[in-house]
Amino acid sequence: MNPVLVVGGGPAGLSAAAELASLGAEALLVEKEGYLGGNPKRWHYSLLAPDLKPAEEVLGDLLGKVEGNPRVEVRLGTSVTAVDPAPPGFRVTLQGGKGPEGREVSAVILATGFDHFDSRRKFEYGYGRYPDVLDFKELEGMIHDDKVLRPSDGKPPKRIAWVLCVGSRDLQVGNPWCCRMGCVVSIKQAVEIRQKHPEMEAFVYYMDIRTYGLWEDLYWKSMQQYGVKFIRGRIGQITLAEGGKRLLATGEDTLLSRPTEVPFDMVVLASGMEPGQGTKRMAELFHLPVGPEGFITPKISDINPVDSGVPGLYLAGAATGPKAIPDSVTEGMGAALRAYQHARR
Amino acid sequence: MPIVEPSLVEVQRTEQLELDGIDVSGDWNTFLRSRVHTDLDLKVLEWVRSQPQGETISRCWQCGTCTAGCCMHTDFGLEEFNPRYFIYLAQIGYEAELRKYAETIWRCVSCNKCVERCPKGVKVEEVVHSIGSYLEVTGMAKESPADRFDRAYTENLLRRGVLDEAALFQTYERLEGRKTPGRELFRLGLSMLLSGRLHTGPFAHRTRGWGKMRPVLTRLMTEDLRRRRETARGPPPGSGP
Repeated sequence: MNPVLVVGGGPAGLSAAAELASLGAEALLVEKEGYLGGNPKRWHYSLLAPDLKPAEEVLGDLLGKVEGNPRVEVRLGTSVTAVDPAPPGFRVTLQGGKGPEGREVSAVILATGFDHFDSRRKFEYGYGRYPDVLDFKELEGMIHDDKVLRPSDGKPPKRIAWVLCVGSRDLQVGNPWCCRMGCVVSIKQAVEIRQKHPEMEAFVYYMDIRTYGLWEDLYWKSMQQYGVKFIRGRIGQITLAEGGKRLLATGEDTLLSRPTEVPFDMVVLASGMEPGQGTKRMAELFHLPVGPEGFITPKISDINPVDSGVPGLYLAGAATGPKAIPDSVTEGMGAALRAYQHARR
Repeated sequence: MPIVEPSLVEVQRTEQLELDGIDVSGDWNTFLRSRVHTDLDLKVLEWVRSQPQGETISRCWQCGTCTAGCCMHTDFGLEEFNPRYFIYLAQIGYEAELRKYAETIWRCVSCNKCVERCPKGVKVEEVVHSIGSYLEVTGMAKESPADRFDRAYTENLLRRGVLDEAALFQTYERLEGRKTPGRELFRLGLSMLLSGRLHTGPFAHRTRGWGKMRPVLTRLMTEDLRRRRETARGPPPGSGP
């Protein structure tokens, strides 16, 4: 039996590869970056919502099942550049450090994930221009290293604002969908900061809080235990205040029906999830249907979210839409099982 | 389109007006005050949270269930009585706006429908009273007739340990700036005094041992007030959430 190709080394891909190996199949795990772990690894995610377990621990469990596993062949810094059907499997061309290489695979799992929205596109928030306007993926790293400091002067901020739905639920940037993560991750960051630095004040500007399912607990705790404050309104623009020393967040406090302009030491943008570059490229390469959002559309998204509709080609994780790590891991397992069934046939 | 609001067209003379430290006295025909909110101060919230009756304030997520069922707001038509709004103002520390409701906030009749209905277990009735207390102890509320009566009552009681109704009446009327109807009242008072039904002035009753009790009570009350004022100024460092 030829190996099953898993494209993408994030949580979904790692889970798929680990599951294939445990079924006794061979997995060929291809990752375009030079490391495994995907976005959580790339941005040094701190704790993961909602259980506040370190990302390294969660990823470590997955990596432990893959790295050094004789049934998993890991190819870092490698992309899939061409594909030809070779029923029942595929013949793919891999482009890595050593040049193109052809491989026969029995099935393919696309776990190509998402990219964080580039907050510079929301230019009125000044990201990229004002150093103290951060993307929340950068704050993850700061919290992880316990160095929550203003990039402009290296001082700890006294008052921090989170702006939700940056690049999500916004037709101006062409992203009408909800990223599902922004609320819970921002609230988690505020909780982490308030735990470690109770002297810092945390304000969250929101339109709706979507800490869905059991995550609601973290939202409640953030208010009741950690004193995180919520202000209902979308920030319209961020400018400089106090001679450039602080940031001025301007918006409408919709519960006051009144404009609000408040100076902050740091503003954190909850950038949404967009289909990853890899997802877009693989959708083209495999001629897969994509939705208006650019994510790959599964054939029957409600009862079989991991089937692409093409025999032998399966989908897992954020390639089909914004997804949490547990969901991605589950889909990785589902896709592995389907690929295994296909390969054995 | 013509401007039909006369106050916007007619020149108004403002004799002494200072805004943000800038003298803007003079003639104005249109004067628009800024409505921008710039004040996020957690002092109010922290004080209310530190009070036994106010600690559930941080549970509030502003759904408005309390106001929706509030009998003052709906049945009695007191639109400006909006518990959801009071809590929000306290949460974001908008004192200037909160001050406007220093009187209204006490109009709650404690029907507790809000507490029954609140989906997050906010003790709305208690929290709203706590916010009212904050306005009282920080001196942000204007003194109402009831406050003045309270003051006169307390002073009167502290004098001898027993209430002197006639003196209380006189003091309160004076505080309200009203003249007591002299002759009529004097005649009534005199006849009551002679028939032994009124004890006032030198004939007033006195609590035994009041000379020892009074300083103790006075000190306790002063200290309590000082403590409440101090906590209103901000909790000591490290005691926050």
